[in-house]
Amino acid sequence: MMNPEDTQAAQVFLSHHEFVKAMALKYAPWPGLMEDITQQVFLEFMNKESRWDLSKDARPLLATMTRHVAMRLWRERTRQEPDKVQKLAEHIRQLAEERDRLPRYDEELGALRNCLQKLPEKSRELVELYYYNEIGTPEIAEQLSMKSDTVCRALSRVREKLRECIQKVIKEGGPAHA
Amino acid sequence: MLEAEVLIQHYLEGRLTEDEAAELHRLLEARPELGEELLEQLQLDSMMRQAVKAMPRHQAPVILLPRRRFSFGALIGVAAAAAVLAIASTALWEQLTAPSAAEATTTSVAVLSRSANVIWEAGGAAPVAGAALSPGWLRIKSGLMQIEFYQGARVSVEGPAALELVSAGEAFFAAGKLSAHVPPQAKGFRINTKSGSIVDLGTEFALDVNDAGAEVHVFDGEVELHHERAAVQPLTTGQAMEFAPGSALQSASTNGFASLLAIDAESAAHQRVQFERWSSMSKRLNQDPSVLLHFDFQDSPGSRMLGNRAGEANSLPDASIVASQWTQGRWPGKQALEFRQLSDRVRVSVPGILSAFTLATRVRVDGLERAFNSLFMSEAWGERRVHWQITKEGIIRLGVAGGKDARHTDYDSMKFFTPERFGQWMLLAVVFDPVKGNVTHFANGESVGVETLTDKTPVNIGLAELGNWSDHAEPGRRVAIRHLSGAMEEFVLWNRALSADELAALVLP
Repeated sequence: MMNPEDTQAAQVFLSHHEFVKAMALKYAPWPGLMEDITQQVFLEFMNKESRWDLSKDARPLLATMTRHVAMRLWRERTRQEPDKVQKLAEHIRQLAEERDRLPRYDEELGALRNCLQKLPEKSRELVELYYYNEIGTPEIAEQLSMKSDTVCRALSRVREKLRECIQKVIKEGGPAHA
Repeated sequence: MLEAEVLIQHYLEGRLTEDEAAELHRLLEARPELGEELLEQLQLDSMMRQAVKAMPRHQAPVILLPRRRFSFGALIGVAAAAAVLAIASTALWEQLTAPSAAEATTTSVAVLSRSANVIWEAGGAAPVAGAALSPGWLRIKSGLMQIEFYQGARVSVEGPAALELVSAGEAFFAAGKLSAHVPPQAKGFRINTKSGSIVDLGTEFALDVNDAGAEVHVFDGEVELHHERAAVQPLTTGQAMEFAPGSALQSASTNGFASLLAIDAESAAHQRVQFERWSSMSKRLNQDPSVLLHFDFQDSPGSRMLGNRAGEANSLPDASIVASQWTQGRWPGKQALEFRQLSDRVRVSVPGILSAFTLATRVRVDGLERAFNSLFMSEAWGERRVHWQITKEGIIRLGVAGGKDARHTDYDSMKFFTPERFGQWMLLAVVFDPVKGNVTHFANGESVGVETLTDKTPVNIGLAELGNWSDHAEPGRRVAIRHLSGAMEEFVLWNRALSADELAALVLP
């Protein structure tokens, strides 16, 4: 059972966990790694809870922790890959780190939820098969009697459309206000 | 060779071949703009994974086995010494990040239905009337409290006392005086003491537990006394007994339990005192020259206007009630307005700009039915407008629009509202403080979130609504529904940042 201090620390983390995710993406741009990093930062934050002054802004602390964890997990994950993939991963990591803009993850996620509701039926089905049911593109292609590359392009375009929709929602004041 | 968008998809899916990786690397070096595109796709891919967790499932036929893309491998890095905490933290993490579409759950077993002059032991739970209670200790130094167990038993306790809730039909009473009314539906209700247990068979009884021992008095019906090393002893109407093997039967007496049995009168007297305390506090607020708006909701019965009681120097106009109906507030004699339907609202006007401000309201939130549930929101949205609201996830949010061409900022509390807090009267406040450079959310006088101000430019509230939101949109355009589900009984706007101590002084126990 968690004691009240642990619960308070958990709440502090939770109020910043979208920030942690944005930082995780910046320092470890590897597919599927963001959730693992966020979870690991949470565990380490809770493990050392007694050291933190929870009345202060936790962002600087979480930023440092996330950077360390992200780098560590990214290295662990990518070193299992063949040489050429490792070189590509390093190139992408540098691109992400040089990027000025930190994603406003929570705001964009809120807008994305709005935008998902507006997807046309076929795009929504594709999103459900790929993201909800976690079915790979070759298997989706087989099920829908399409070429695998066609499914890849379709997914890419769905994401592009969603990106445009997110920008439109945010420009109009964000999901909480517009 | 495959085109870039297919290669990026293979990268996102974790199935790039070595040749494909080399080709994507070459393309990224040759076309710098492709890097941005890849990072955007990666970010959106990550957000999609999170967003679909809360997405209603579509009826698409699924005939393929799902692939497993993620492992829990990240946990391996946690030190062995922290394993126990890690497991507990993992459980908490899963609880905190569960998809919002999941059905809400509670561990509560009872509700604190009434309290009168209660002083809680320091460091322990200090629930307010209406609070749902989970298993655990309730320790009071003095005063009276009444607890209704979900199984139906009603228990009154007089302090000093210590009661541990065990389940919806069981408690452990360590010290103090207690009376219990157990209707037939709650038959079998059990109270344990260090001397033994009382199992109620549908009755009314009282219990006095002190250093000398425990004494049970039955006023109506029958109970069973269970000693550890003795046969079960039945007690019926009019009988009393010391809770010890071999004790003799005595006559039940209400003498030692007079306060408990008069809890209705005690509670009513306590409510009158609280109402008078609030009235005095409310009148003092009206003399504060920094108060721009003070709606005490004590207008004539049936009135469709809310009078602004703030001192004459500020003279902001009264507010107009639309659809919302009058109801009783926290105490008899205290009025409140209900917000239940999508039309319910109070229209307010706040002309001019504010370089600092504090908003406070005494409110009862009954549920979070909408994605955004309004406390006080400027009409529409525009330069430096203000939206004070509660998200469906239970976060209290102050949104402040940017100036011309500037972005808006949401200042969030921690996740505060859980189902256990619904139905309780509480004082919510938010302080916009450009001197300290932060926005602080308060609930019942305690900080529940501080965020750094990103823009210290004065705000411009303009036309606004309590408990709802309007968008002066063109006819036919659909407007988001953001009404509050609950009731409000006081609202104050100051043109300065109040201190934590000032806000704590406004809390009524």
